[in-house]
Amino acid sequence: MMLDVSDVTVSYGPFLAVDRASLQVGAGETVGLAGTNGAGKSTLFAAIAGQIMADTGRMVFDDHAITNHPAHQRARLGLCRTFQVPREFGRLSVLENLLVAAPGDRMETMWSAWFARGAMRRKTQQLTVQADGILAMLGMSGLRDLPAAGLSGGQKKLLELARVLMHRPRLILLDEPFAGVNPVRIGEVMEIFRRLKDSGIALLIVEHHLQALKALSSRLYVMDQGRVIAQGDPAEVLASRIVQDAYMGGVL
Amino acid sequence: MNSVFFANLVLNGLIEGMVIALPALALTLVMGISKFPNVAVGDTMTVGAYVAFGLQAAGVSWFALATLGAIAACMVLSLATYQWVFRKLSKAPMVVNLLASVGLAFMMRSALLLWVDSQPKTYAFPLVRAWNFHGVRLLPTDLWIVLTAGAALLVVFALFRYTNVGRCLRAIADNPELARASAIRSKRLTWFLWCLFGALSALGGVLLAAKSVLLPEFGWEFVIPAFAAVILGGIGSPVGAVAGAVLLGVAQEVSVAFVGPSYKITVAFLVMIVVLVIRPAGLLGLLEKAR
Amino acid sequence: MSAYLIAICIIGLIYALLAIGLNIEYGETGLINFGHVAYFAIGAYASALLSLRGVPVSLSILLAGLLAAVAAIPIGFAALRLKDDYFAIVTLGFAEAVRITIQQEEWLTHGVQGIAAIPGLAAGASGNSVFLAILLLVVLCAMGSVYLIQHSAFGRVLRAIRDNEVAVVALGKRTAGFKVKVLMFGSFFGGVAGAFYSHFISFISPEQFVALVTFYVWMSIILGGVGTMRGSLVGSLVLVLLLEGSRFIGDFLPGVSDLQVAHLRLGVIGFILVMFSLYRPQGLFGKGGRA
Repeated sequence: MMLDVSDVTVSYGPFLAVDRASLQVGAGETVGLAGTNGAGKSTLFAAIAGQIMADTGRMVFDDHAITNHPAHQRARLGLCRTFQVPREFGRLSVLENLLVAAPGDRMETMWSAWFARGAMRRKTQQLTVQADGILAMLGMSGLRDLPAAGLSGGQKKLLELARVLMHRPRLILLDEPFAGVNPVRIGEVMEIFRRLKDSGIALLIVEHHLQALKALSSRLYVMDQGRVIAQGDPAEVLASRIVQDAYMGGVL
Repeated sequence: MNSVFFANLVLNGLIEGMVIALPALALTLVMGISKFPNVAVGDTMTVGAYVAFGLQAAGVSWFALATLGAIAACMVLSLATYQWVFRKLSKAPMVVNLLASVGLAFMMRSALLLWVDSQPKTYAFPLVRAWNFHGVRLLPTDLWIVLTAGAALLVVFALFRYTNVGRCLRAIADNPELARASAIRSKRLTWFLWCLFGALSALGGVLLAAKSVLLPEFGWEFVIPAFAAVILGGIGSPVGAVAGAVLLGVAQEVSVAFVGPSYKITVAFLVMIVVLVIRPAGLLGLLEKAR
Repeated sequence: MSAYLIAICIIGLIYALLAIGLNIEYGETGLINFGHVAYFAIGAYASALLSLRGVPVSLSILLAGLLAAVAAIPIGFAALRLKDDYFAIVTLGFAEAVRITIQQEEWLTHGVQGIAAIPGLAAGASGNSVFLAILLLVVLCAMGSVYLIQHSAFGRVLRAIRDNEVAVVALGKRTAGFKVKVLMFGSFFGGVAGAFYSHFISFISPEQFVALVTFYVWMSIILGGVGTMRGSLVGSLVLVLLLEGSRFIGDFLPGVSDLQVAHLRLGVIGFILVMFSLYRPQGLFGKGGRA
């Protein structure tokens, strides 16, 4: 079990956003997390990412107890996330965005800047090769030297993904990756995710786009009003009575 | 150092705290709506204090009228800063608004420094002896001051609770998305807010000057304490700003017993730091779970 | 080179050092530091006091810079979890607290009377041209070290923090550490600038370290272009021209006292800040700084 989340509760004052939710993601597995609006999936996502702290519950990632870990520590362990609204480094180039993303402790110091420039340059070269590889895989090679702020919305979302990949994550938390994607391009994006899956990275996808979840996930959780109301095979879960009721006849 | 001594300090602190509550409230309102700390609050207070002084010196016999004049003047002043500066910067990054407010503060102070001489001024109040309750002294002026501040705060809170404008302001502060949706009333709301800002600053300035002396730098010295009050009470909470101000006032006054009167701003700063490290949400602020 | 011109250059280079420090903090990393003058003051007083107690001036300048850098640590850690607007106010409060402490702790700093007869640089080299040469060397070193940082992995992370700190955290980096280091770096140069200032001017007192000085430096990086090395230099040059120019004008206009010139200058600085905010905000975040 790569990620084991049990009995997580998150409340904002009197409002219970997440109510004893549990989920698991196995190594290399793609798991979906769906739910109605306000179901609490974004909050659960944020709690798993470490952006907010859960009130109760336990989280274990890759045999590390991460319940109290701050966000950056979870990322260092290999639990990385993307943002639904892209958070690109606007005034850096696409390549630089990726270079920053790589774990680079020894190189990212003032000392290296002054006294170890040779080593720093070599490391940067290595990372550039890695970055170019990722950009090629995502079809973004042409954008390499453009300032990130100038990218289109869809390109920024891809940049989000590219950045996370630089970090060589074990599990990626994907925050509504299909939100706002032009329907024409959904096939392309799905293809990218299939390739990701093939590379063995575990994925936890929070999404509204149920078709995409059905196609990509091996297991699906559905939340409603803060609780996990169903989990299992995506097709079965989505067809189940309880989920249909929750969505109140929404298009499945 | 005995209990009477401390009682006097605490009393003084409560009074000063009540008055600092006015600019603190003004600050927290602007921060809630326009999302930036309006550093010009201090110098607006000074302008108000000087206008009242000028009116009194010009022959306005009833001090309450002079105060009203100061309030009116600062309402216009703050509204002008909004109309000509902050309105244009409403979509700009916070730092731009912040620097603009610093610039405006400097301009106000410069104008005052050029206009008035820098001799300390006091309001012409009839000399009355302090009341003395077993060693605890209270000047009648101070009583008026605290009553006025209290009344002003009650008026403002009543406005928030019982008028449409007030309710809208609260809603906007709680939910900026809603604010954008209700753009129709937005302009009137924002004008109301900035007038309120000016009024509270002016009144705060007059009352504080009534307790001490009036110098051109005097308002700037209350910027840090006003912020400390907002932070202590909890960001985003008007009630918190008032509570924080009172607590801070007492803390500042009590500190005088230990480090003397000149360290008050430092005390405010230390309170600010301590709160931010230990309990960033302040006493009453909502616990910020996410940024 | 005439003595006057040398003096101007020295002052200009001192401001340039301050600007270089602030530019790394704001232009590169997006830290809205409104307390820069605090480190200027700490450096000035530390170097003055050390050298008066027999420490060789070149050593005391270095120690002053280090002390200023160390002083940045608690502020850094306490304030770095704050949103940028609160950080600005806290740093402002810190600068005021430092100034008041200097003013009050007379046993150490002679309070408002100031410290006089501060020795100049090295043996017999009271000739200002030597001072200028050494200062120029220091500024060049500062520029060099900043250049190396800007073109490094460390600098890249700083710019990423500036553009979107949340994302940097999500990528596994402890941004707080970076920010504290940057603050220390900028404060080191602020302290060194202060030290040079005290040895040049040979008399320092608390009123020379008011908050206005911080905004002189802000104005100079805005005028010159935030985030660029050239910006620090050009901006300081313009600042010095403004300061000297205004003094000249005061001398030439009859009936205008030095004090009035100072007051007017305050207003002009404020006006410039407001104008830049309104009409050239890219000056604040175009190449660098917070968007």
